[in-house]
Order: sequence, then C-alpha cells, then structure tokens
Amino acid sequence: MYETKYHKASSVSEAVSLMGAADDGKLLSGGQTLLPTMKAHLAAPSDLVDVSGIAEMNGISVNDDIVTIGAATTHAEVAGNAALQKACAGVADLAANIGDPAVRHLGTIGGSIANNDPAADYPAALLALGATIKTNAREITADDFFVGLFETALNDDEVIVSISFEAPAKACYAKFPNPASRYALAGVFAALTTAGARVAVAGAGDDGVYRHADMEAALDGNWSADAILGVSVGADGMLSDMHGDAAYRANLVKVMAGRAVAGC
Amino acid sequence: MEMSGEYSIDAPIAEVWAALNDIEILKVCIPGCEELEQVSETEMTAKVALKIGPVKARFNGVVTFENITPPEGYSIVGEGQGGVAGFAKGGADVRLVEDGDKTVLTYQAKAQVGGKIAQLGSRLIKSTAAKLADKFFKNFRDALVAEVASA
Repeated sequence: MYETKYHKASSVSEAVSLMGAADDGKLLSGGQTLLPTMKAHLAAPSDLVDVSGIAEMNGISVNDDIVTIGAATTHAEVAGNAALQKACAGVADLAANIGDPAVRHLGTIGGSIANNDPAADYPAALLALGATIKTNAREITADDFFVGLFETALNDDEVIVSISFEAPAKACYAKFPNPASRYALAGVFAALTTAGARVAVAGAGDDGVYRHADMEAALDGNWSADAILGVSVGADGMLSDMHGDAAYRANLVKVMAGRAVAGC
Repeated sequence: MEMSGEYSIDAPIAEVWAALNDIEILKVCIPGCEELEQVSETEMTAKVALKIGPVKARFNGVVTFENITPPEGYSIVGEGQGGVAGFAKGGADVRLVEDGDKTVLTYQAKAQVGGKIAQLGSRLIKSTAAKLADKFFKNFRDALVAEVASA
C-alpha cells in the first residue's frame, strides 16, 4: 500500500498552488486513465488535486461562432449539448462515441488532451479545428500543444482551463474503434475551417496525433471523398501492434478519411 | 522487439568513441537517467525513471559493455527491475564508421519488456522503445557536437 492525499480544488488558482506544494502531485479530472493506472500500481502520486468541481472549468458556450468548452466538461455533456450540436455536430458526435457510458460520464476533454493518448479521439478534433488550449498561464494552439506520444506542451503543474475553436463550415470524425476498448485503431477528423481544409489522424501514427498535409491539399478546393482516393497513405510511421499492423492502419486512415469527408 | 538507426555525427571517430565510453555523457543522454555509476571498467549501475502518459516507473539496473573493439564499436547490454511495474532488458550493437571528418553511428537494438507494464502498454511499447532509443542517440549526437564546438 502507499499513501495518496486527495485535495478537491475549488478554483484554478487553488489547483495550481496545491500542485506547487505537492511533492509529486497529479491533477485528477475524470480519472478514467489515471485511476486504473494507480490501481495497477503503475503510478503513485503523493497528492491528487481534483479539478472536476471547478466552476470556471465546466460548461460549454457558443458566442459568435466561437465555441468554448471547459476542460472539466465530461464527454457526455459535450455529446448532449444542443448549442454545440448546432455549431459543430462533429465534435458532439465524436464525444458520443468515446469509450463506454461510464467513461463518457466521468472522463473529461481536458483530461483526454492532457494525457494525449495516441489513440484518443479529442486530440484529432482539436488539431483539425485549429483549436486554442487555454491554461492558467497561457494560450497554446493545438498545433503546438500536441508534441508526441503522450507528450504535450504542458508544464507539470499547468492546468488546462478551457478549449476554444471557431465553428467550422464542415466537420466530421470517423473512427474504426477497437471493439473491446473503443479506442481508435484509426480515426480521422476532417474540418473545413476559415484557414482551409484540415485533417488530423488519431490512433494510427506512432508518434501520436498528426495532421495529414497531402489530404489537406487534396481537399482544399475539392471537398469530396473522391479527393481522398488520389492521396497515397504509406505504412511508414504507422503504429504496429497485435490489433493491426502498419499497412492495415495506413489503409484504415484512408478509408476513415473518406468516410469523415463524406459524412460532413 | 528490434530497433535500428543511423546518425551522422559531426566529430572525428576518436572523439565519438571516447564519448561512448564517457559515463558523464551517457548519463545526460539516457532519457530519464537519474543515476549512472561506474562499478568496474565494463559495468555500471543505473537508475532510470520512465514516464509514459500516466505511468511512472523507476528502474534499477545494471549496464555492461561487451565485445569492445575500439574505436569501431561495442555492445551495450542492460537489464532493469521496475518493482511492480515489471522489468526491461535489452542490448544494442553500436558501430562507428569514419566518414571524412564525420562519423557515422549505426545501432541495432533488441529490447524486451515484461510484467504489468507490458500487459497494460502492449500497444505502445514498441513505439515508446523506438522513441527512447532515438532520443538517446540524438541527445548523444547533440551533446558531442556541443562539446566539440566548445573545445
């Protein structure tokens, strides 16, 4: 057995100071990845700082086409939000298909992107939408935020407060889920934004989520599933594991991209 | 699981070889290395903290040099215990070839991970191992080039 101190923070600044005071602290939101890891004794933080009850980190607002989602907002809240469904149904649909009901009612968008699991869905959406991640200290663009496999630009005691993006003209996510975990074997989020077509791939790249430049170029000016057909997706740099090898994933990326574009 | 890589280093072979045997350089290049102590000419003990997503494990291990043929290369073999997390062991054959003023370093590594960390992370172990190996040799190249530049 080992000891862990649990703290419930009531504001972002309190969470930051609790983390600063902790010897080896960890932020806790929905705990859908962290708690199973702690149960397996693969992580043993000295302190847990629970941010799920912080008011300024909860809720969804849509103002003049700018969507803002609090970092501690659960997947179920995102999936069921009427204003978001109108502004960007692709993100609401993505949230509706994360994991299982237990995960969706506890897991949060901030937790998902801070963990940056290469097979998580949200990182692809944020990258394709060109979202901005607001923390207690600064604003980070999604392009700078997702650094690699489980790596983000966040500092150890930095707290994500909210995520915002401009409602896109079109946006859709298509994933091929692992039937057991529902993690993406490959997932593609395609969005037509004011900055042009943006395509981000989850689950397939061996260094985490990434943008697919060739698909973006093909879709600029020709937003159709046919445009994807002409793009070649190689097996280089694809994840390979017992669930699917690199060539299989490369093919899935192309198929999912076509479905995402056709689904918009 | 097997990995390999090739790096062109902007330094003469003698210096690269010396750095490969310099415990202080190795220490700053091994990702997550907290301690590296020389026990004998060919043996070291190491403490390495590994952080992959939510997983944080600390491995205590032994690293040995084998098949030493200066300045062409050696094999580096390591084995570490990470408590409940499991174990990791592996080895790499490192070869140096002169290329004018530069040196080409190639490596072929094998790694094995077992225990809980392997069960939980099986879908990611290979990518992580490849990334760590790449990080090490990139750190090594950068540390060496910086040292040559400042000398």
